[in-house]
Order: sequence, then structure tokens, then C-alpha cells
Amino acid sequence: MSPALLHGSLQGYILVALLLFVIGLATVLIRRSLLIQFMGIELMLNAANVALLAFARYRGGDVQGTVFYLFIIAVAACEAAVGLALVVALYRHRRTTDSDRADALRR
Amino acid sequence: MFLIFALITLLGAVAMFRSRNLIVAGLCLVLCFLGVAGLFLLLANPVAAALQIIVYSGAIVVLVLFVIMLLNSHEEEPAEHPRRIQRWLGALAAAGLGAGACKAVLSSPALARLGQEGPVKVMDLHQVGVSLFQQHVVAFEAAGLLLLAAMVAAVALVKKEL
Repeated sequence: MSPALLHGSLQGYILVALLLFVIGLATVLIRRSLLIQFMGIELMLNAANVALLAFARYRGGDVQGTVFYLFIIAVAACEAAVGLALVVALYRHRRTTDSDRADALRR
Repeated sequence: MFLIFALITLLGAVAMFRSRNLIVAGLCLVLCFLGVAGLFLLLANPVAAALQIIVYSGAIVVLVLFVIMLLNSHEEEPAEHPRRIQRWLGALAAAGLGAGACKAVLSSPALARLGQEGPVKVMDLHQVGVSLFQQHVVAFEAAGLLLLAAMVAAVALVKKEL
């Protein structure tokens, strides 16, 4: 591994973002509980944020990156509220938070 | 410093992926988000680091932990069908995507050229506010409307009788 990668370069940050995204994706694909899948989605959103702000920094401290990050946070907050409300509603109907058990459109 | 924060982030994420207990997974997620906030500080962006700690490790993780405790589902339920092939295919797809993308990042000359050290400009709240209210006012209002819509939707979804 090159020393630039170890002490933080653009490639280092993008690599961290990529690994974070892959871990989030694996969480969504492999784990069964809807709540931990939700945490995986948050992880993927954070990976996108890391990449966005790394590019903004290496473009000479671009303000637009931080403004866009604000909007991503707003959308993530909306997604958290609606997603968790859906999980609670599913639990009321089926008594489960397992995504494999919620596979029928009507029962 | 970069290596320390990157390790905190990735170890928190892996611990979240592997933990059996959902509460422990939520706490590992907090660790991961704190690592990401540290990375934002290293990117000369204290505004984003503060927002990361307040919104993600503060609000969103607390919301998730609250729902876990509300539904009393601390552990994953035992599987109804094993579905081994699908799990292995999922793991394989994620690993393939990760390996391919890492190779592309490490061998990209354009990224290396963009990563040349320029003068470091520390982001401050003043710049962000000016840009937000001069160029992005409409998007700002739309974000407010979106938050309102999400709040109404969340209440409508979980309320038993409207």
C-alpha cells in the first residue's frame, strides 16, 4: 500500500466510502431483520456522503458539496421517519420484523 | 489520523453487520458514524462533522433504538426457510461489486490527478449559509415541505384510527 493511501488522499477516502457501501449492501442482502437492514441503508447513505465531501474538499473546498450534504441529511431524516413507521405498521399486522416473513402481498 | 478514523468507521460497520443483538448493532452504528464525523473533520469540514454527530449519531440512531425497544425485537427471529443460495448469491454480488470498484479506484489516473494537494480551505457555516440562501432557496423550501410530508406520513402510518 502506498504511503499516500495510508495518510489520507482522495483515493483513500473513496476507498473507505466504497467499503462502507459494500458492508451496508451486504447487511441489506444477508441479514433478515428489517431494523438491521434499515441500519444498512443508513450505512450506504453515509458512504455516499463521505465520497461527496471528499470530492468537494479536493476541488478546493467547494461549498456546494456541504449544501448538498445538508439536503441529503434532510432526505435521510424523512426516510428514517417513514421507514420506521412502515416497520411499526408491519409489526402491528403480522407480529414480525423479519423481511422473509413479509413476503405475501395479502394473507 | 486518517487511518485511525477509517479503522473506527470500518470496524464499527463490520461489528454492526456481525452482531446478533440489534441493540449492540445500533451502538456499533454510533461508533461508525463517529468515525465518519472524524473523517469529515480531516476533510477540513467541521460543519459537516457537527451535523453528522447531531443528526446521525444523535437523532437517527436514537429513533432506530427506540423502535427496537418498542417492538421488543432484540434478536433476529429464527429463519422460516434457510434460503442459503440467495444469501450466498447476495454475499457474492456484494464482494464482486466491492472488489471491482476498489480495483477501478486504485488504478484510475484521473482520480490520482484530482487528488493533488491544493491549498486547504476550511469550510465555515457562513459560506454554507450564504450559498444555501442565495442559490438554493427553492430547494431549501422544498426540503422543508418534504420533511412536513414525511412527518404527516409517519403519523398516518402508525396511528390506529385517524
